[in-house]
Amino acid sequence: MRHGFRSSIVTVAVASAAVGAIIAVSVTRMSGQASRPVRTADGKPNFSGIWQALNEANWDLQAHDARPGAVTQQGVYPYDYARVPAAPVLALGAAAGVPGSAGVVQGDGQIPYTVEAAKIKQENAERWIDRDPELKCYLPGIPRAMYLPYPFEIVQSTNKIQMAYEFTSTARTIHLDKVEPPPDDTYMGHSVGHWEGDTLVVDVTHFNGKNWFDRAGNFHSDALRLVERFTPITPDAIQYEVTIEDPKVFTRPWRIAMPLYRRLEPNAQLIEYRCIEFVEEFMYGNLRKQQLVKRWEGDTIIVDITRKVPPGEKLNDWYRR
Amino acid sequence: MSRRLLAIIAGVVIVFVMIAALLRLSSGGASNALATPWGEPDLQGIWTSDSEIPLQRPAKYANREFFTDAERAELDKQRAEAIGREAADDRRERGSEQDVGGAYNAAVFSTHKRMGRRTSLVVDPPDGKIPPLTPEAQKKRAAMREYQLALIQATDLCKNKLPGCEGGQYGPPSPRRAEVPPYYVTVGAAGGLGAGGGAINRADNPEDRGLGERCMAAVLPDFGGNAGFYLQIIQSPGRLSIFYDTGQGQGWQRIVPVTNAPHLPSHVRQWWGDSRGRWEGRTLVVDVTNFSPKTYFQGAQENLHLVERWTRLDANTIEYAVTIEDPTTWTRPWTVKQEYTKQSDQENRIYKEPRCHEGNYGMPALLLGAREQERAFAEKRGPDPATECTAGCGGFAFGFSDAGEDSNPLSR
Repeated sequence: MRHGFRSSIVTVAVASAAVGAIIAVSVTRMSGQASRPVRTADGKPNFSGIWQALNEANWDLQAHDARPGAVTQQGVYPYDYARVPAAPVLALGAAAGVPGSAGVVQGDGQIPYTVEAAKIKQENAERWIDRDPELKCYLPGIPRAMYLPYPFEIVQSTNKIQMAYEFTSTARTIHLDKVEPPPDDTYMGHSVGHWEGDTLVVDVTHFNGKNWFDRAGNFHSDALRLVERFTPITPDAIQYEVTIEDPKVFTRPWRIAMPLYRRLEPNAQLIEYRCIEFVEEFMYGNLRKQQLVKRWEGDTIIVDITRKVPPGEKLNDWYRR
Repeated sequence: MSRRLLAIIAGVVIVFVMIAALLRLSSGGASNALATPWGEPDLQGIWTSDSEIPLQRPAKYANREFFTDAERAELDKQRAEAIGREAADDRRERGSEQDVGGAYNAAVFSTHKRMGRRTSLVVDPPDGKIPPLTPEAQKKRAAMREYQLALIQATDLCKNKLPGCEGGQYGPPSPRRAEVPPYYVTVGAAGGLGAGGGAINRADNPEDRGLGERCMAAVLPDFGGNAGFYLQIIQSPGRLSIFYDTGQGQGWQRIVPVTNAPHLPSHVRQWWGDSRGRWEGRTLVVDVTNFSPKTYFQGAQENLHLVERWTRLDANTIEYAVTIEDPTTWTRPWTVKQEYTKQSDQENRIYKEPRCHEGNYGMPALLLGAREQERAFAEKRGPDPATECTAGCGGFAFGFSDAGEDSNPLSR
């Protein structure tokens, strides 16, 4: 009997140590920076954290060749494939080129513009510097904010999910609960979400039609409606799919899809990119009392590029040192 | 055998109960309705400050922490009168800058909230005043004020000895108009006239116009100002998102990580600093450093250091206390306390589109106007632009008029 009682104490001690260890491990996992629970307290996939798209969608949603510059001009040969970098980016060399892509548009890879809208898209592409809202640091809109080349952070609560974007410190709230629509049309849309199993489905409406999809001039109107689907692939990757509908611009709904990747650096955080300040010269420089750019003709910037290479830095010299 | 089994079961049950109790303790009372499902204190919702309390205690309430109910009623009455009064034609000389300022009345720029109980938001020092500036900061502020006065000395403001010219005198256009300001021009209205916040009477560049006109007025800490503000807080385990809907479409998104990780390297500077939070019982304590030299709060710039304390007092109230420190600006740290009241979640009252910049036709129009004035003057068609006042001219710039019956009853 005595022996039995003592052994039962030992068993309890061993059992409680094991239980304690299991709890200690799970608590460590909860509070650790690097490893996060795969599910939230209410059993949903845990999307909280810092994410970023790693693709060329912001250059052009569609499949495209690499290009020698973000802005190009006709080269000595008149072929379209032999264009050369133009003044705005010339001094930046290979740092100003555009990477190619197999595209993120699903199905046949085409964007089903109406005939009229296709013409506007073409003009937009040709007048990218004048028209792209990104260059003016305007609110990027959805879906573009999701694949701008800047990180964003998801703060996932039970009734609301906040998405905070590094670019111009903008944000959107995905309402999982009941909410009245916004008082006016918006740049960032009005997002209402619900869960379908492990997929977060978000309807986005109330756009003002002032945003673009990318730097290639792909655009939409205020009739834009999105259905976004966020599905976990692994704890550190989300499949992001958007169905895009805009009867004023497109002949049928179409889809884009891409993974979003978790930023796993232990010190990852959003760093302010408050670009309003960065674009004042670009937007208002001609209105300065003393202009910084040497030649403005009206509101036309004529940038005389001066790139004087100091001795010792000339081609090949630097590498020979 | 069965006794042994019973003993094991009893032992395991006891251990589980103890662990459950411990977990509840360590999570700060998960059973509390004001906790998130994962056991952190719940600060979520849309919040605003419901009552009007001056930042610093006005002289006539010195040594009194609270207004009497009769005083609050009287102040509410006087403020309502000033706010409700239509701008009258005959109050200012036609065609003067004061006339243009008087085209508005206090209603546009003033908070319409009722007076709160406390006589100042500053709770420490106990006199309710921001502590004295260091000699270094005084010198800095005086240099900016001198520069501001030089730029308005040729205007009607100084000619007519209006409050906006206080400390200066009327004179010919100053050669200092061509100089670089003593430090980065920031916020016109910060702390009132002479508080060193910028607002220079010049429009040579967008940078001359101050952060408000550039759509970058939002600062931390923010106590709501004249236009009021709404905060929307959303939490996930170890993270707070705070969206500040503030300053006429100049709102911003903040993330507070709850972490013991160090701040960003000290050479990385941000407009709203770098936040690091930790829970002390039910209070979220946030340490904020790494501010940019371009931010401006009551005279402090890159050396500003904040310790914020966010506490959910009850279902409808958050207490926000912030200790503000900058040994290069003030002779001691000081603390501001403010209460936020919960707003309806259903009504989507927070409208998170800081779309000031997208609609900033004012900036190019203003610069264009200034260039046109210069051209007209050069061609002898118009007055010397140095004699015109376009910023820092007084009037209604601080919510109420500078003087008279439209002025703020608290400062009369």
